[in-house]
Amino acid sequence: MFYIPKDAIYKKVSRRDFLKMGGGAATALGAGSIALGLSSVINRRPVYAQSSDAAKWKQYEGSKLVFMSENTPPSFAIRDNLKTFYDLTGIEVEILTDDLPVVQQKVGIDLRGGNSDFHLNYIQDKPIGSPFADYYEDLNKYTGDNTLPQDPEGYGEDVWFENFQKACGVFYEAGRIVAFPYDCAVACSFYRQDLFEKLSKDFESEHGYRMEFTADTTWKHVYEYAAFFKKVREGGNSDIPYGYAQHQGSFAWTTQLDIQRMLFSHGRWTEFDVDDTLGSKDPGKTKWGDAQSVAVMTKFKEQADVSHPDNLANGTLELNTVYQAGQIAMQVQYHEFAASCEDEKTSRAAGGKTGYAPCPKGESSWIVGGGQAVNGTNCGIGGIGINGNATEDQKRAAYIFAIWATSKNIQYDVLRGLGGTPTRKSVLEIPEVKTARNRPTNMPNALTFDAVYDHGIRDPHFVLGPKIPEVNEYHKILATEVQRCVAGELSPEEACEAIREQTDEANGYF
Amino acid sequence: MQTTLTNGIAEGQLTNAAKLANVSKDQFRMSNGIRVIDYQPTSRHAAPSNRYYLWLILPAVIVLACITLYPFFWLIWMSFHKVDMMRGDIWNNFANWRRLLGDRSFGNGWYLLLKYSAMCMIMEVGLGVLLAVILNRSKYEKALVTLFLMPMMMAPVVAGLVWYYLYNSTFGWYHWLMQSAGILGEKSILGDTGTAMWGIVIVDVWQWTPLIILITLAGMKRVPRDQLEASMVDGAGDWRNFFQITLPNLYPFLLIAILLRFMDNFRFIDALLVLTGGGPANSTKILPTYLFDVSFQFFKLGRGAAIALTLLLVTIILGMILVKVFESPAGKVNQEGN
Repeated sequence: MFYIPKDAIYKKVSRRDFLKMGGGAATALGAGSIALGLSSVINRRPVYAQSSDAAKWKQYEGSKLVFMSENTPPSFAIRDNLKTFYDLTGIEVEILTDDLPVVQQKVGIDLRGGNSDFHLNYIQDKPIGSPFADYYEDLNKYTGDNTLPQDPEGYGEDVWFENFQKACGVFYEAGRIVAFPYDCAVACSFYRQDLFEKLSKDFESEHGYRMEFTADTTWKHVYEYAAFFKKVREGGNSDIPYGYAQHQGSFAWTTQLDIQRMLFSHGRWTEFDVDDTLGSKDPGKTKWGDAQSVAVMTKFKEQADVSHPDNLANGTLELNTVYQAGQIAMQVQYHEFAASCEDEKTSRAAGGKTGYAPCPKGESSWIVGGGQAVNGTNCGIGGIGINGNATEDQKRAAYIFAIWATSKNIQYDVLRGLGGTPTRKSVLEIPEVKTARNRPTNMPNALTFDAVYDHGIRDPHFVLGPKIPEVNEYHKILATEVQRCVAGELSPEEACEAIREQTDEANGYF
Repeated sequence: MQTTLTNGIAEGQLTNAAKLANVSKDQFRMSNGIRVIDYQPTSRHAAPSNRYYLWLILPAVIVLACITLYPFFWLIWMSFHKVDMMRGDIWNNFANWRRLLGDRSFGNGWYLLLKYSAMCMIMEVGLGVLLAVILNRSKYEKALVTLFLMPMMMAPVVAGLVWYYLYNSTFGWYHWLMQSAGILGEKSILGDTGTAMWGIVIVDVWQWTPLIILITLAGMKRVPRDQLEASMVDGAGDWRNFFQITLPNLYPFLLIAILLRFMDNFRFIDALLVLTGGGPANSTKILPTYLFDVSFQFFKLGRGAAIALTLLLVTIILGMILVKVFESPAGKVNQEGN
């Protein structure tokens, strides 16, 4: 049937051998693909595991796990520390890191597709936890298991900082724990003490009060500081930076957090009538569009008008770069960035020039319907959770890694190393950490601990934001309409109404 | 080896007939009006049958069917369902399609996609042809073409990152240059709703104009010299030569280039995600970016499938229109001319 070349290969090699060669190649390729695709290996020695505490840690010796995490300092620091874990357990862990939206996308496909390519996941409270909570394993199953090693401090809510366990570990259903707090970024105020001191007299003569940052500094004060800096700059003093900048970049989640701080500080306003720390799959209609939200949106727009002109391009990372470059005098930033701000090689704000304070407080006269003025403090609490699609042994091995990564000593190592942010209270009791909270310090992030752990994250200041299944769509809607308002395309009323309409539609209320 | 045959008459028959008539073969052929047909045998083997080719391409057809037809039909299925990969798909009464009708981001995505494509196409074709004409006359043509092709060799994500840093208002060189020249204010190109679209168009033009140059240069090598020489003999100048001889001959080549770029633009997303992510204020959220958000940020795979199908449908229709243009008499000028 076919034309056969004169020098066909199978005339030199027998037809049978030729087929064997093809079969061998196909088998090799298939085996290679499987090896690459399913690279986890699990070996368990259950009898040996009962013999001693050391043996419990070693029961999965020779196994391999994959951890998908965000590219934040704790992930890098843990990766640098993996040899310690390997020596302790014999388990090899591969840590893959990426930007949060990419992590969200990858773990989402893995979880929803019924796969377990990533046995361990970084569960950032809202972007990952809220939409995928049902796909994670309940860790209660393992916390009381005496065939597994356990942390001597335990995992109750009291061992973590206030609200942390609820923020990243509990979704929609009380009592079910899907993650242990692993990494946190809590907002606080960073400001240039040197510039504030330099301009304070002029400011005071104009406004009648000192330009300073305390827990009582309100959003109205921040607006006036920013306007003052802008005026001095536009008066021809090019050495003076802009006063303030917002988080309006393409990372929708931080834009949402940026306006949320201001909203919550004025009467503890939240988007829905639900308990944010638990969340709801049926949150009801949103409160966006009410008088308070319009009032705050108006102030937010006014704030933008006196801020750094590139607001719409500055996401969280870019904003921090702007601050380090000396282009702004204030930012509300996540406390994990203190380490980079205090780095004299890269930051003009280093060398004792930066002061840290709680997030600004609400201005009483801006509260429309009554309510408390608080220092609205929000955060990203990242937990470490276990993929519910994994096999039982993979989950048990993953649990061993989870408790190791969130243990006191490892968190202390991470804080000392790349500048981590602890989630266990006991880390702050370590004498070296207590000392490091004041300058000079070898743990720059510890400079923020007064503002963050002692004040900001405590009720009534703590705001988490909505844990709803459609949270990522909500963040995009909010970011877009807030940006349109800041750009002058929509009035504050129109922006709030657009958010209300689209949010209700996304949540199924047409 | 070349043999000569006559139409309808074998070589042997011609020889015999000439012998019978007692004339030479040529005399016999000419007197009987027998035409000569040159025939070039290619192989001692018989020519392969159509069935042979069919068998040859069958494995590729099967593989292609698996990787294109199956997902295609699955995409259609998804567009009519609420998709949950673990718990099964649920028929949702055309909700995915009905949602598109009132979806502002969907309409805005289409508008921005067409705007973006048109801006890119006009700039790339204009600049590409201009540079190709200049390069065609240059004695450094090969070196310059290699230089121009370098952006095209770069992965779009890398190109996006490079330009993201160039545009940065804090440390970006390009931003500094434009600001120093008084063209830009303190806002960066990507941070302003009025200029962000220009920002991504510039990146696309920078990266893909070389493709237009390459295709145009290939076309220019095929412009018939006799037409150019005849035109010059008639006294035509350079401009007239270009517009009346060169450009019409380039027409089919440019149509191919436009078709390729148009299809690329309709699935453009990688560099854009790095540069703006669709912002600020949705000013660069072209449809593929919105499709990505819906499918992989919101995980609404059914709605994403409906959006993807509209994108596919419009791409096919516009592609067919372009092919029709290509097949029109104007488009065939050079095909037949050469």
